[in-house]
Amino acid sequence: MKNQAAKIAFWRIIQIVFVLVLWQWGATWRDNDGVWLIPSLIDPYFISKPSDIFTRFLQLGCLTDFNGDWLLSKPGGVAACLAQHPNNLWVATGATLLNTFWGFTVGTVTGVVAGLALGRSEILAKIYSPFIIAFNAIPRIAMVPVIILMFGLGDVSKVMTAWVTVFFVVFFNTFEGARSVDRDHIAVSRLFGATRWQIMRTTILPSTMSWVFASLTPALSFSLIGVIVAEFIGTERGLGKLIVEGQARADAADMMVSVFVLMIVGVALSLGIGRVQRYLLRWQAHYQDIG
Amino acid sequence: MNFQTAPHSPNTAALPRERIAVRDVRKTYGSGASPVVAIENISFTVREGEFVALLGPSGCGKSTVLNMVAGLIAITEGAIEIDGQPVRKDHCAKSVGYVFQRDTTYPWRTVAQNVGYGLEIAGVKPGERKELVDEALAVAGLYAFRDHFPLTLSGGMRQRVSLMRTLVTKPQILLMDEPFGALDTHTKLEMHRFLLELWDRERQTVLFVTHDLGEALTLADRVLLMSARPSHLKEDFAIPFARPRDAVTLRETKEYGEAFSHMWHSLGEEFRRDDRPEGAAR
Repeated sequence: MKNQAAKIAFWRIIQIVFVLVLWQWGATWRDNDGVWLIPSLIDPYFISKPSDIFTRFLQLGCLTDFNGDWLLSKPGGVAACLAQHPNNLWVATGATLLNTFWGFTVGTVTGVVAGLALGRSEILAKIYSPFIIAFNAIPRIAMVPVIILMFGLGDVSKVMTAWVTVFFVVFFNTFEGARSVDRDHIAVSRLFGATRWQIMRTTILPSTMSWVFASLTPALSFSLIGVIVAEFIGTERGLGKLIVEGQARADAADMMVSVFVLMIVGVALSLGIGRVQRYLLRWQAHYQDIG
Repeated sequence: MNFQTAPHSPNTAALPRERIAVRDVRKTYGSGASPVVAIENISFTVREGEFVALLGPSGCGKSTVLNMVAGLIAITEGAIEIDGQPVRKDHCAKSVGYVFQRDTTYPWRTVAQNVGYGLEIAGVKPGERKELVDEALAVAGLYAFRDHFPLTLSGGMRQRVSLMRTLVTKPQILLMDEPFGALDTHTKLEMHRFLLELWDRERQTVLFVTHDLGEALTLADRVLLMSARPSHLKEDFAIPFARPRDAVTLRETKEYGEAFSHMWHSLGEEFRRDDRPEGAAR
């Protein structure tokens, strides 16, 4: 078993190295005389090359200046660079992450509340279902320009966009969960003399939560998508802004830096939420097997 | 041995008091011109400390009767009283404990949290609760599994958890809906032994629904035999076996064999009636 894990890790590293070397080597070769061999879709003009992306990463992150000299060794060098570039990589990543977090939190909480209310009340579900279906039919992204007009270029419009994308994911899961609470579990509560609130707290909520937790991973991805798209349309800072600015300057390395940072952020977030999920759902046999 | 219908003696003063009284209860489903009659008419009483089994073919409405006693479903006609208080839907009497056939442990709670559930609802303080739960877990042989989640346990263990969850609240009246119906024969016998042991200590008033004649004879003081649908009470047997009983060795006695064969025929008639096409029985 341990042997197999090492084997898997080994082949993964080989894959990464192979792709990076091929990318770097192909791009360099194309710059010289191999143009006819390299298809133009993977032209470094579009996708840059690993060494350039790494150089740009250091520059955007205020780790080196534009001559490639390390700023960390100069006293006050990093601070000056950060002050000079208001949307440096750190600020951009921080802004995008923070907005993603708030969009996710607000979207999840409101989705759970609405899902529980409609899932446990037949009359509310009947009244609101056509509106829910109608709102859900709107591609959320189509509302981004409106949201930015309403809430401006600041963080609020990003959180709002993330909220409308996250809300429905969590809402539908909670709704289904609240409707599928085991009737006998509710009967058990009632037989022990539980009040309505106690039934809600000890039976309906925990039972529904397993459905809610299952929706957290997609909710987080949707939140990140919402924030990035809102940043494309109009923002003061954020990774989305770095990407559209890179595109405007036809600077492939700039865009690729942001894309890679987003990839790393995305992986870290989903690993984190996966751990939380596994802990919260540890009572399910499915998660116990993974242990 | 002479199996007589339990005497409805006019001299009730000497008998223990009635705890459950079911009077002329009728249950129909659906409304309009042709409602489905589940229970035609049923009346019986269960006295203090009595272990009564409600036996009948599946689908005869025994669980329906039990659920009406528990206040889980509405009564169409007639009345049910617990300690003289009329039972209404969604108003469960405080003195009543109920055990389901299905596994109704909360999967997100550990074994100890499951057993402590009823105490938690009743507002018992955590310290006292832990003591009572630990004691119950020790009795049920579940102490080592106190921090396990139900999905890691066997069916028999989960049913013990359900049983202890109810018993730990010390209900005076115990309603059981085929609690061992989903278990294999061996586990079932273990559970009979376990239940008899517990019951001999507390002597709760029990109404126990089952379709298993052996189970009814092993556990009960009285067996009420229900007919096939639309159901009524067909017979009321007193089970005279001495207590304490042993769930395994009891089955080897001559008395058990006689009682079994006597009731087997009576029950068999109802199973056959139940096999007839819909409408033919009416």
